[in-house]
Amino acid sequence: MPIDMTRGTQPAAGPSAFAEAGAREARILSMGGGKGGVGKTFMTANLALALARMGLRVVAVDADLEGANLHTCLGVRTPRNSLADFVAQREDDLVKLLVPTHHPNLQIIAGTHANLAEAQPGHLRRVSLMRALRKLPADIVLLDLGAGSHAAVLDYFLVADDGLLVVQPEPTSVENAYTFLRAAFYRRLRLAMVGHDVRSLVSQAMDQRNERGIRTPFDLLREIESIDPLEGRRFAETMRRFRPRIIINEVRTAEDVKLGFAISSVCRKYFGIEVDYLGYVNFDEAARQSVAARTPIVESREGSDAAIYLQRIAKKLAGASNGGEPVMDNADGSSSA
Amino acid sequence: MDIENLPPSQGLKALPDQDHYEVLEIGRDADAEEIERAYALTCAAYSPEGLAAYSVYDDQDAAAIRDRVEEAFRVLSNAETRRVYDDKICEDQGSPPPGAEAPPSPLAQAPEESLLESELLDVESIGSPGSDIEEESGDFDGSKLRRARLRRGFELEQIADITKIGAAHLRRIEDEEFSDLPANVYVRGFVTAYATTIGLEPERVLPGYMARVEAARTQPRPRFRYRG
Repeated sequence: MPIDMTRGTQPAAGPSAFAEAGAREARILSMGGGKGGVGKTFMTANLALALARMGLRVVAVDADLEGANLHTCLGVRTPRNSLADFVAQREDDLVKLLVPTHHPNLQIIAGTHANLAEAQPGHLRRVSLMRALRKLPADIVLLDLGAGSHAAVLDYFLVADDGLLVVQPEPTSVENAYTFLRAAFYRRLRLAMVGHDVRSLVSQAMDQRNERGIRTPFDLLREIESIDPLEGRRFAETMRRFRPRIIINEVRTAEDVKLGFAISSVCRKYFGIEVDYLGYVNFDEAARQSVAARTPIVESREGSDAAIYLQRIAKKLAGASNGGEPVMDNADGSSSA
Repeated sequence: MDIENLPPSQGLKALPDQDHYEVLEIGRDADAEEIERAYALTCAAYSPEGLAAYSVYDDQDAAAIRDRVEEAFRVLSNAETRRVYDDKICEDQGSPPPGAEAPPSPLAQAPEESLLESELLDVESIGSPGSDIEEESGDFDGSKLRRARLRRGFELEQIADITKIGAAHLRRIEDEEFSDLPANVYVRGFVTAYATTIGLEPERVLPGYMARVEAARTQPRPRFRYRG
């Protein structure tokens, strides 16, 4: 049975589904952003630790095989085994690639020692990977994605229960975020379509200078409806369910804070999709220092502004996993809620 | 999911097909304050200087959106023109009058855990149970003031304009650079004005903040010894 690449970035499954012990699978969150250097790894490391400190079992996975450094952000020395072993089919059991961190609830699968000549897995291996990730002994699996819009990156984003997009309040970051969203959006729509003609139409629309003059997803929807009303409905439903979430990183002004709402508005008007504004993290010198010290800021400076904003975002993510009630960590007496 | 039973297009509408409420992204029952706020946010989102729209829309398209936003605001911000417009769309769409069964606004549709505009901008929500702002219990320090200011959407320069207190002083209050601030009585006045401007009650802010100022200022100064 093929994996459903079209399920992702929809609102998380209900808490009851999540709470069903035994049958439950790990909830997958993907951290993308299109552009390099916007803080995806910083965000992944800190949210993973913040969620672990709330009592959730978390596995952070470095899917950025060409620029792996999630382990460093979490203070783990370069692991010998990594996701690269799974990609190269040297290891089929992801559990054997888990590396402990100093927090008992948090483990990582590093992305070190990849074969840079062929870092990205092929389609079939990606499908096996996503299945294996869901079966990991964890409540949440947090994937740190690489930059760009490679098919593998898009699939990791699309298959996740929540696709998170990190954006900095800079023109280059915003522009790349839209490029990433557009690529992910059309890929998902194409996968959701059944008919060959309609799939081919979506492919044509992915070229922004296509000859049919399809400029926006609304133009495409109209074209599809005219060819096949049933496919049109399927297309519209896919649009409705595509619901990525954004985090604005390195906020310095109140205008930067409002950028999240502005991007949501543009996505609604242009793509016809709802984008949830999950939160923002302010620019904080302490954040840079925490990366240099190889310790997440939610631990090293938990009273700093950036740590407080990160914990707030983690609490919202945890709430979606537990019926709105963040889990308190009794193990070490801390409460990150 | 039974695709065949879904309504065509699932209610998705391109801009030309949207009504004034949809253009401003508000519900049919929005009050005057919500309309003002949505107008300000939408203007900022599609302004030529804004970051959000320029790489998606060309100048012409962005201008067309701004025109639609202006038109929507002109009609909806006036009670009489709004009433006439509401009657017209009810007639056209055969929908119930506004207020009877308002379509859910995009904000209302957002899941609980997403950041709502009201969290950021609704000054009235301050102190209401469950708001993120209220969750920050405890005494106010400089960084907590800064967080409260950012959540309410204020720049320091705006507060400076309103209070006539220099932005440099306001920044020092947030950064707790007490040695560069004037006497306590002035600081108390500055903090009161700052808090009032962003919609915080000064009596909630002052005790904790002034205790920090006083504690910092009563610490013994380091002694210098001449070496000779």
